[in-house]
Amino acid sequence: MAYLSMGEAHRRITEYLNRFCDAVSSQDGASLKSLFALSSNSPSFLALADALNLFQDANRLIKQSDQYSQFGEIVVPLFRSLQNYKQGSLAEAHNAFEKSASAFIQEFRNWDSAWALEALYVIVYEIRVLAERADKQLASNGKSPEKLKGAGSFLMKVFGVLAGKGPKRVGALYATCQLFKIYFKLGTVHLCRSVIRSIETARIFDFEEFPKRDKVTYMYYTGRLEVLNENFPAADHKLSYALLHCNPHSEANIRMILKYLIPVKLSIGILPKDWLLEKYNLLEYRNVVQSLTRGDLRLLRRALQDHEDRFLRSGVYLVLEKLELQVYQRLVKKIYIIQKQKDPSKAHQVKLEVIVKALKWLDMDMDADEVECIMAILIFKNLVKGYFAHKSKVVVLSKQDPFPKLNGKPVNS
Amino acid sequence: MMNQGGNTEALAPAEAHLLELYIVLVEYRNLFLFLCQNQYGDASQLQSSSFVPPATGSEAVAWTIHRVDNSSTENGIYSNPTYQYDQSTQPPARSIQDGLTAAPVAGNLSSLGTANVPQDYNTYTSYPSSSNPYGYGSTGYSGYYNSYQQQPNYSYSQPVGAYQNTGAPYQPISSFQNTGSYAASGSYSSTYYNPGDYQTSGGYQSSSYGNQSTLWNNGSYPNHSSHQYTNYTPATTGAYGSGTVPSTSLQYQQHYKQWADYYSQTEVSCAPGTENTSVSSASNLGCPIPGITSGYATPNTQPLPSYASSWGPDSGSSSMPSLQPGAVISGAHDEYWKQGAQKSQIHHTIPIQPNFQKPLDLKSSYDNFQDQHKTAPSHGPNLQYATAQQMPQNYQSRLQASPSLDTRTASKLQIPTNPRIASNLTVGFPKIDKDNSTTSAAAKPAYISVSMPEPDGKVLSNDEANSLLKPGMFPKSLRSYVEKVTARCKDDIQMAACQAVMKKMITKATADGTLYTRNWDMEPLFPIPNADLVNKDSECSTLDSSLPKHKRSPSRRSKSRWEPLPEEKLVDKTVPINNNNVKYSGWLHDNERNRKMVVENAESKVDRLRNTKFSPLVQKNTGRTPQRAFKKQRLADGSNSNEYGDTSSDSDKEQNLMVYHSGAMALMDSPEERKKRENRSKRFDKGQRQRVESNHFRPRNFGAGNLYTRRTSSSVLSKNFDDSSSRAVEDIDWDALTVKGSCQEIEKRYLRLTSVPDPATVRPEEVLTKALLMVQNSQKNYLYKCDQLKSIRQDLTVQRIRNQLTVKVYETHARLAIEVGDLPEYNQCQSQLKTLYAEGVEGCHMEFAAYNLLCVILHSNNNRDLLSSMSRLSDEAKKQEAVKHALAVRAAVTSGNYVMFFRLYQTAPNLNTCLMDLYVEKMRYNAVNCMCRSYRPTVPVSYVAQVLGFSAIMAGNGGSDEKDTDAMEECIEWLKAHGAIIIADNDGDMILDAKASCSSLYMPEPEDAVTHGDANLAVNDFLARTSL
Repeated sequence: MAYLSMGEAHRRITEYLNRFCDAVSSQDGASLKSLFALSSNSPSFLALADALNLFQDANRLIKQSDQYSQFGEIVVPLFRSLQNYKQGSLAEAHNAFEKSASAFIQEFRNWDSAWALEALYVIVYEIRVLAERADKQLASNGKSPEKLKGAGSFLMKVFGVLAGKGPKRVGALYATCQLFKIYFKLGTVHLCRSVIRSIETARIFDFEEFPKRDKVTYMYYTGRLEVLNENFPAADHKLSYALLHCNPHSEANIRMILKYLIPVKLSIGILPKDWLLEKYNLLEYRNVVQSLTRGDLRLLRRALQDHEDRFLRSGVYLVLEKLELQVYQRLVKKIYIIQKQKDPSKAHQVKLEVIVKALKWLDMDMDADEVECIMAILIFKNLVKGYFAHKSKVVVLSKQDPFPKLNGKPVNS
Repeated sequence: MMNQGGNTEALAPAEAHLLELYIVLVEYRNLFLFLCQNQYGDASQLQSSSFVPPATGSEAVAWTIHRVDNSSTENGIYSNPTYQYDQSTQPPARSIQDGLTAAPVAGNLSSLGTANVPQDYNTYTSYPSSSNPYGYGSTGYSGYYNSYQQQPNYSYSQPVGAYQNTGAPYQPISSFQNTGSYAASGSYSSTYYNPGDYQTSGGYQSSSYGNQSTLWNNGSYPNHSSHQYTNYTPATTGAYGSGTVPSTSLQYQQHYKQWADYYSQTEVSCAPGTENTSVSSASNLGCPIPGITSGYATPNTQPLPSYASSWGPDSGSSSMPSLQPGAVISGAHDEYWKQGAQKSQIHHTIPIQPNFQKPLDLKSSYDNFQDQHKTAPSHGPNLQYATAQQMPQNYQSRLQASPSLDTRTASKLQIPTNPRIASNLTVGFPKIDKDNSTTSAAAKPAYISVSMPEPDGKVLSNDEANSLLKPGMFPKSLRSYVEKVTARCKDDIQMAACQAVMKKMITKATADGTLYTRNWDMEPLFPIPNADLVNKDSECSTLDSSLPKHKRSPSRRSKSRWEPLPEEKLVDKTVPINNNNVKYSGWLHDNERNRKMVVENAESKVDRLRNTKFSPLVQKNTGRTPQRAFKKQRLADGSNSNEYGDTSSDSDKEQNLMVYHSGAMALMDSPEERKKRENRSKRFDKGQRQRVESNHFRPRNFGAGNLYTRRTSSSVLSKNFDDSSSRAVEDIDWDALTVKGSCQEIEKRYLRLTSVPDPATVRPEEVLTKALLMVQNSQKNYLYKCDQLKSIRQDLTVQRIRNQLTVKVYETHARLAIEVGDLPEYNQCQSQLKTLYAEGVEGCHMEFAAYNLLCVILHSNNNRDLLSSMSRLSDEAKKQEAVKHALAVRAAVTSGNYVMFFRLYQTAPNLNTCLMDLYVEKMRYNAVNCMCRSYRPTVPVSYVAQVLGFSAIMAGNGGSDEKDTDAMEECIEWLKAHGAIIIADNDGDMILDAKASCSSLYMPEPEDAVTHGDANLAVNDFLARTSL
């Protein structure tokens, strides 16, 4: 590191302070937000951090000037946070930053217009990111990581500030989305419920009024929640909305959306094209899709086994597992088609032993009782129209549309 | 005097309380005196001019007496734990009251105010006897209030109070009511009626003064009369003679002696002003009589001016005459007090004089009173009671009078007073009886005689003081302060200390307003330090400064007078108290203060002499008190000084315990632990302080709520020890308190810990191992085993044993819980096992991972939990049989594969079956539902039974037909229970009509369903548990 003179350090600090004061006095949200973007690792911030480490008396500098001291509660902890951040003690950096953010929120409350929303966005983002990194650091040091939890409660405060009448309310969805990120990361998604309720029911909020990027994020997360709840139509709606409005150039985001949308679509009988899986690198679904088209139960099970960890972590494992019934349906349909080709008159009578034999070919070791049970379930779930004659061990298919398509509706449960 | 002496001997134990009460009373009196001086200062002076010497002297005495009463009442309250104290205190109180009643008129306001305070205490104490006085006091308060609002009302109220005080008084009250304030009394009466005596206070609060007064008259009279009469009569008959005298005799003797001195002083004062009255009052009171008489005389004089103005007509004309005849005795005194306090002391004084004269003929005076009040029979006792009650009332009235503005305070006071009154009545009666028996006959005269000489000198001084005081009397605000303070004091011993502080403050602060504000603010803080500070102050500064002050300004003078006297008296009292109990020291301080105040007021030579004599004792007391007080203050600052004493002792014990524990802990000591301990102990102290502070603040903040707070505080005080200990338990750091058990009992019932674990009841690890084996091999039922296992778990936790034994215990318990389907208990064990396994303690990790998985799958039905628990399974775990089985079950459940499920059900390892058992019903129902939808036309029941696990027993290998049929029957029964339609086919085999059953299936209500949803709480289980 180049030698840094005291004067240079002083100059950098005062420059930052001047920029801060100017941004506030001129209500320049764009320049203000850059002054909070701690984790951007911008050169100016790093230089400022060096200056602060050298020039230990920045607090006095701030207190001496009326112009600076009015923001002392924001800037002093911010400087401390920056110093800690530079030195790699993220937990302290997060603590100090949260203190600074609290002071900023106090100021923010008093500003009638929403000019500082951008800066608040940055602060909210920084809080979350710093907390995540601090938790990682804490966990590696064997300490209990709870910064992200604290960030969650802090963001709830921010949400409270924003959730009101006035121009600031459009910022509420951003805070909500950041909250979602925290809750999903912490695995406490049940906490999302209260925020969702206020977003979707409070009259002050008009969903279309929010910024598009927030709407997409919001729909993505709420769609994921619906996937967990196995509420496929709602999940389909939300994730499709997110996909539709997502910036087509941000492929990573589209991939994230598709990761959940594809299982949902599969559950309601809609299969993706192979190029889509390829384009967005979602090849783990390829075998699943193929098993559905082929009625290949073995393939599905293998696919589930191969990617079990991934599916379990993303939470789609159970959804994909439920595709088994559709695979059975496909298998029976195949048998039915073959029988039809052989003997159209008796095609609607599928003998149980035939199905058992077919499954044996697929290395599925299932006895007649089990297959009979599966058939009963298929009929029960309306994946197959017809009935099962126990005495003769025959699945009697309806002559009209024996294998009804789901057509966007989930399997009866 | 003789009587008193005898009483004091008997009372010795109770003396401390009495002393405390006395101190409080004295304080109250002082305050009242101040107030009276302020309020009536001019008038009183004028009156005093006429009555001056006697009046002043009498006033001082009266105050002292009142204080005594208050103290007694307070003692009763404080002494709640110890009834003896109450009794003892009561008798003195009564005597004091009598004295008060005699003097009270002059100082009624003050006395009333003080009385209120004591009443509150009484309520707290919850002593019936004390409560009675309270009620009286409350009535007195109400009366005061009334008077404040409406002078006529006041007069009425006063009578009412008198009524309440004693049966005789009641009658008088009625008469009074009749005269003036029936309407107002109505409310009072209602209140009185309600509680008997106690409720009256509440009634006072509720009703406005004016209204109350009317109410009082209307309702209270009858009630009061009845209550009082009953009470009085019995009291007079038996209670008086026996109860109070013995209990209080020893303590009281000292007190009495002191009092006697005081009384003598007072008497002297009275003698000049109203010798007759004083004598009579003394006779009435018995031991206290002298003081009372003097007190009466003095109060009368003091009140006269002020009262005269307000009550002038009523009191002067009616009360005066009536009082003289009837009032002379307790009833008259009471009424006078009330009236006097409210209206004018003069009336009281007037009656007092007559009373005094009559008192000489105690009976005669009583008769007179009775005549007036129609309570002739009970008059003697009644009078005493009334006086005693009046004393509290007087105090209350003082408080009320000063706060008359503060109806709230009054109401508060009243409320507490009611209970107290009740207690007072009971207690008071016995005491009175004693007094009557002892004192009435001989004691009264003796007292009179003794008191007379001393009082003379004192009287003169008192007169001077009075004159000074009167002009300088504090304004109503001060009174209100005093009332508030007293109210607080009532709550706790601290309150007494607060009062003393208040007095000091008053003396110090010349400005009324400042005094008020300061007092209020300071009171809470002061109470704690009061004992020490007050004692010291009283000893050192108060006497010296007070005297000069008195000379300078009446108020100051009064204070100074009060202070010196109290010191002496206090010293006397304190000495016995100290001997009796450390706790008392605090009270003693208060008492001392009060006494000092009284003494100062009187400024009698005797007092001074006593002061000098007693001073060493006092100092000793103070010396003790400070240390104790500090500790005590921490623990139970909120509580009164008495409480402090108690609490301090308690706290000390607790601390000792803590130390002990910490010492035990110390074995494993490390610097960190020491620090922790220190922090903990600090926390404890802080907590205590906070508690104390909170207690103080409560009374301050809420006037109306004061009573409640007082009550609570009193209760708290009484329970302080326990509370502190329990609190300490809450704060216990189990790490620090890790215990090394020494109990060798293998069997131990589970009892949730509410305190620091006692090593003697905790089993060491080797015993716990045996205990676990015992439980495992036990043939008893689950409830027994659960109980035993919980106690084992507790012992393990307390000793911080976390090893394989711990895991074994939890695993054993978890398995037992699974076997009986006790999921809540299982979940507790499972969560503990999770952390134990995570700590690396070996156990049947996989088995319980499978249980956990099954639990999530089958019972929580939460996809997210399922996903997370599945994703947490390691590959290794997934190969484990139990886990594999659990995962297969999950797959079967999510896919609805009933065939698979029941196959897994039959091949389940470990206790997986038990967990699946809980899901079987649901699975079967879903399966049958599915079959009915998909099968046509029929399904043989045999197939259903086989597929749905009914034939599980025979599934193994060709079960016998018997078993088969058993399974069939079971299946048919189950299907029928769920609405399935079963028919017999041509071969006679049972078949399920799928289509028909399709719409008729239903899920029956579980047989063991419990309305409250938790089958574990079923009555059967309950009985089973208790039968263990």
